[in-house]
Amino acid sequence: MILGDLGLTVASILLAIGAYGLVNSKNIIRILLSSEIIVNASILMVFSASSLLNKVYLPIFFSIFAIGMALIEVVVAFAAIFLYYRSKGSLEVE
Amino acid sequence: MFQTNDLQLVLFLLFSILSIASAIFITRQRNVFYASIGLAFLGIAIAILIALLSPSAYAFYSAFHLLLYVGSAVVFLSISLVVFRGLEVKEVQIPWAGVAAVTVGALVYIGLFVTFSSISPASAESIVFSLVKFANIFLQQYWFPTVILIVALLTTMIEALSLARGEKT
Repeated sequence: MILGDLGLTVASILLAIGAYGLVNSKNIIRILLSSEIIVNASILMVFSASSLLNKVYLPIFFSIFAIGMALIEVVVAFAAIFLYYRSKGSLEVE
Repeated sequence: MFQTNDLQLVLFLLFSILSIASAIFITRQRNVFYASIGLAFLGIAIAILIALLSPSAYAFYSAFHLLLYVGSAVVFLSISLVVFRGLEVKEVQIPWAGVAAVTVGALVYIGLFVTFSSISPASAESIVFSLVKFANIFLQQYWFPTVILIVALLTTMIEALSLARGEKT
């Protein structure tokens, strides 16, 4: 088995675990962490697919923008969580 | 396709197991602070897996992933979660959650398998990463997304400053 195929398999498993965490929790931080697992799975998926297609630069550009946006998402989401906690006193979603 | 040797395969399997174990730890851990530490391990494992796919081509991005994702996003999240340290997550038992997750994973995998089994590999491209070529493509073809990313990062910085000063939104 070549590494690209194995990478796609691992990324699919990570995606399933992230989806499980996303559905099975009512805590906002747990939901944010599960979405981060999905971000990591998608990045691994892009690189595995690109290694199968012999692409070098395309996945790097794509992932640099994806990681930049993931960083912004973490900061903005955490600010929203902090304000939610201040107003509600809890992190449970209804 | 990129060449693979046995050591690469063994390391790839090892870090695949680490990444899956970290992901399970994140979803099962009741303390959110420890769960975010698990995310750092997942980020490190993913960076190593990407580097192992093709060390000469993707090592640059692997370092980028470690520095920007693990070094800033996850560390920011972990340090910020100190505010909520000791906060335990209430589990909700949704009976169809496991089935839904397995279905999503299986559908994505089948979709990828079908797509890649019908595509024949492209002609061999040079797999050596060139920083000069990278910079040229980045500045000539991807200047607009770069501008958007810079503006978004600046907006985030202003938002973080506003939050740190305790301004009401």
